[in-house]
Amino acid sequence: MTRRIELGLLYSRSGSYCLISEACRTGALSAIAAINGDPSHGLTFHPVERDPGRNIDLYAPMADDILRNTTARHIIGCVTSWSRKEVIPVLERAGGTLWYAVPYEGFEASDHVAYTHACPNQHLLPLLDWTFPAYGRRGYLTGSNYIWGWEMNRLARDTIMAAGGEVLGERYLPIGSLDVGRMIEEIRVTRPDFIHNALIGPSSYEFLSAYKALGATDPAFLPENCPVLSCNLTECELPALGLASEGLIAAGPYFRGASDASFGSSHEEAAFKAVQELARLLAEPGSETAPLANLLTATPSLIDAQTHHTELPTLIAQVRGGAFQILERQAAQPGDPYLTHDRPRAARTLRVVS
Amino acid sequence: MKRTVRIQNLGGARAVILHRPHAVVQALTRQLAAIGLHVDAVWPDLDASALGADFVFFDADMGHDGQFPWAPGASPMPMIALIGSEAPGRIEWSLSIGAHAQLLKPVGDSGAYSALLIARAAFDARRAAEIEIADLRARIDERQTVVQAVTLLARQGTEAEAYAQLRQMAMTWRVTLEQAAARVVARYGAGGADDRHSRS
Repeated sequence: MTRRIELGLLYSRSGSYCLISEACRTGALSAIAAINGDPSHGLTFHPVERDPGRNIDLYAPMADDILRNTTARHIIGCVTSWSRKEVIPVLERAGGTLWYAVPYEGFEASDHVAYTHACPNQHLLPLLDWTFPAYGRRGYLTGSNYIWGWEMNRLARDTIMAAGGEVLGERYLPIGSLDVGRMIEEIRVTRPDFIHNALIGPSSYEFLSAYKALGATDPAFLPENCPVLSCNLTECELPALGLASEGLIAAGPYFRGASDASFGSSHEEAAFKAVQELARLLAEPGSETAPLANLLTATPSLIDAQTHHTELPTLIAQVRGGAFQILERQAAQPGDPYLTHDRPRAARTLRVVS
Repeated sequence: MKRTVRIQNLGGARAVILHRPHAVVQALTRQLAAIGLHVDAVWPDLDASALGADFVFFDADMGHDGQFPWAPGASPMPMIALIGSEAPGRIEWSLSIGAHAQLLKPVGDSGAYSALLIARAAFDARRAAEIEIADLRARIDERQTVVQAVTLLARQGTEAEAYAQLRQMAMTWRVTLEQAAARVVARYGAGGADDRHSRS
């Protein structure tokens, strides 16, 4: 008999980061359709959707609503780290699980979260290691004014300093702000080797477009001389950027065309894999109410039982002609959210331990 | 003072949890293992092997001095109190045994990482202060020797010149002023060295 299982979906469908939400949601829904169309799974997923409409204060009550008023024990959702941190206490109280399919800044390993996208040992650190010999070690750091921007830039600063480099400036914008003039002016004056961009949504789009304009006036700011680096930019945001994205260098576990898979972006892939993996873990009847920790000890999983992170490859790619072109592929490695394990390869000399 | 919390090298570090078998131990072990530490839980006493641990988490509710193989406040590693009852007597005892940070029970999904970093920073700061205090104390104890040395050297000139000469000697010999003074007293002071009670 096919078991009918409700599955929470918690994505903001409007607002500053909705392109990422939509990519994740597309991945989750296409996985649900695939599972529902394949009787061998012995189960069908039925989405229970809530849309916080980018209101940070609605995430926790909506997660609570899903876990309290429906039979769903698992929620696929959240884009910002801020919203994830809002939801975790609710998950703890209700014994629910969040499947989080977005790159994030690490330093978390909740018992109630499965992290299916990359953390810094899989994105930022390999990206900087690759950038230093290619472009130099003098960086300018930008970010949105919340935990993703702060932590990513703190890590970038530590890594740059440990490599004997220099941080020429560090500036933040409130989420949604378009006030990029001061950053651009500082970059123009300090002339860095690269820019680390941890801005999100419209702030990021505005910044990239202003930086493109700066490059048109001075070749020092063309991508071949001073590229913009990103750990969260994927194909899903390219339509919003147009030509401004040309030359941008990003790190991620997947880019379109990088494998036989046909996902639109790594966000879509990570959400798809989350749902697919959940279906596998719930294969045993009765498992749908079990906590994530029990599921992970019962069945070997792509989610590590100790850290709840995922083994992922690192690809470094550059936007050329409107699409990402792979520049570098590194073998899959386990997520190391607290950066407490030795890193492979030449990274050893760049370790940021004190 | 600006303190930068750098990524601490916690991978492979060893933590000992001194707590009776309980859900607290389980939750804390999970958090510490996810961070990358090796964890041992022991009860009712820490044995000598705990001396090799990098961190000790201890039960503040049922703990007592006799559980630890070191004197109160003299742990050779950072200690983190696991506090259930916030009774003043228990907090006082946690402080006296040498807590560098605390974690409230019930232990859930988070808290261990910040407790580790805060405990280590507090432990390092306390140890650095102790070393500096011991050094300053030793120098205070040597004041009499310095006075004697200056008096001996001042036989050929003024006190100010003698002091400058002593400093010059310390620099040349690459020793502290106090050590240089001790050498001067030993060399020139007939019987002078006998007055000195070295504590270093």
